[in-house]
Amino acid sequence: MRGSRLIRFLLLAPAVIVVLAVSAFPMINTFILSFREWRLDRSPTPQGFVGFENYARAFGDRFFWNSISVTATFTVISVTMSVVLGLAFALVLQKPSRLNTFAKTLLIFPFAVAPILKGFSWRFMLNPSWGVYDTLLDALIPPARDVVWLADPFWAQFWLAVSEVWGWAPIIALMFVGALGAIPTDIFEAAKVEGASNWQLFWKVTLPLLSPVIVIITLLKTIFSLKMFDQVVSMTGGGPGRATQTLNYYVYINGFRFLDMGYASALAYILIVALTIFAVFYVRALYRQGAV
Amino acid sequence: MSNSRYIWRKRLGWLVEKVAVLFILLFIAFPIYWLLITAFKPEEFVYSNAFIFPPTLANFRAIFAGDPLDFKPYLLNSLVISTATVLLAIPLATMAAYTLSRYAFKGSLPLLIWFLTTQFLPPVVVVIPFFILFRRLGLVDTQISLIIINLSLVVPYAVWMLKGFVDALPTEIEEAAVVDGCNEFEVLRRITFPLMMPGVITTAVFAFIMSWNEFLYALVLTRDEATTMTVGLLSTQTHRGVQWEWMSAAGLLVMVPIFFLSLTIRNYFVEGMTMGAVK
Repeated sequence: MRGSRLIRFLLLAPAVIVVLAVSAFPMINTFILSFREWRLDRSPTPQGFVGFENYARAFGDRFFWNSISVTATFTVISVTMSVVLGLAFALVLQKPSRLNTFAKTLLIFPFAVAPILKGFSWRFMLNPSWGVYDTLLDALIPPARDVVWLADPFWAQFWLAVSEVWGWAPIIALMFVGALGAIPTDIFEAAKVEGASNWQLFWKVTLPLLSPVIVIITLLKTIFSLKMFDQVVSMTGGGPGRATQTLNYYVYINGFRFLDMGYASALAYILIVALTIFAVFYVRALYRQGAV
Repeated sequence: MSNSRYIWRKRLGWLVEKVAVLFILLFIAFPIYWLLITAFKPEEFVYSNAFIFPPTLANFRAIFAGDPLDFKPYLLNSLVISTATVLLAIPLATMAAYTLSRYAFKGSLPLLIWFLTTQFLPPVVVVIPFFILFRRLGLVDTQISLIIINLSLVVPYAVWMLKGFVDALPTEIEEAAVVDGCNEFEVLRRITFPLMMPGVITTAVFAFIMSWNEFLYALVLTRDEATTMTVGLLSTQTHRGVQWEWMSAAGLLVMVPIFFLSLTIRNYFVEGMTMGAVK
């Protein structure tokens, strides 16, 4: 069947226009804004062009560098924990049993919880006076009694990442369950006949066969970690101090609290550069995997 | 001797496995369980880690009471915005997905990749120019502004998901209909669209979930009139700090509808999320 060119065009155009409007328009607009001075509280229309001043300002701004380091730390911790735990969960749950089937059904729930709510829920459980996880941890690890989790820069970063891992490790586990199921079982049987232990089986057979999927999932999770925003608002508010102020959050407060549109746009573009790098790797990994 | 050691190792392995499954279940379910029971706790039991308490609906009454909290408009806004987003996005995406699947042309793969990469755009970048635009048009704090911007979230995913569904439909039925004298529009209306329906519904549910859980756009683009449930959660923070029993009750209203929806599409969740990269 061959549709005429006109029909094809008419069917595609609406979606293409919408996606153009909501991606190209903001990208171009923000790019231009990043070269302008525009304090929304002082002027309702953009002020003059300032060249690279906004970018130069970012590189001299220690809070910007702080946000880069916070974002990098958060991304590394949350990606590593999500992928490792996700794989571990999948390996535990892959054996068919009624309990495991039930557990696999539960895996989609944390991911379906709105991220803003995840942040609230973890903050609630970590409250130093009556948080249920705080009480539990105090009982298990006595030195933890003196720690106010979200008031400590190190632990606030850690728990922020945990709230993200809580949502993502289960869905990643589900992805790995699918990938593990796609490995032909005779490979394992052959290896067992050759006398391989479970440990060897995992490192020498399972892991190499999973590696393309691991790469794709890791890149995907990295992109989502770089974009994470909601839990910062509901869990830490960027604090204590600026310990959990990610680049996303720093763009947000510059744009919508200080109303400095030019500077926020420049910061946003720096974030885009970082994301583009990972996006390119991701698309390349998809091609290699034959997924597109 | 070695035989009994083997049996013990096996039993130990069984135990370790069950403990691991139990740990996973607790890790996943406990935060949800805790939110669930807190929502039904009387205030005096909230701040004491009680597992046993007389359940009450007082917190739900409180968040709809009107003073100081009123979640009615938030709930309505979330419903209207998410539903409208889905109703606009799905027809567009269905047409595009059908075309990209059935009439693949030279540019269709780059087009799909481009759709995919728009999802890597951080929302905070998208929202800056839209905030400025909507401000100029007087659309800040309206449902329309959120519906428009939520399309950015939903349309690319919907195209990818639906294309997967159309790819899976055999073309033979359509070809047979053409042989029997149906024209292209009749084929679409009578054969292809009915066959696509399960995929369309799955995609619509997925799109609804994304739109319902969205937070940043709603935070920037609403003040009081168009506030959604996710942004409304912030209102449980009073001068005395967050009122956790109210937050839990409101949180439950955000979470529970999505749980039911997720269950209906659970087999497609992973594929939708990864745009088909991991099946």
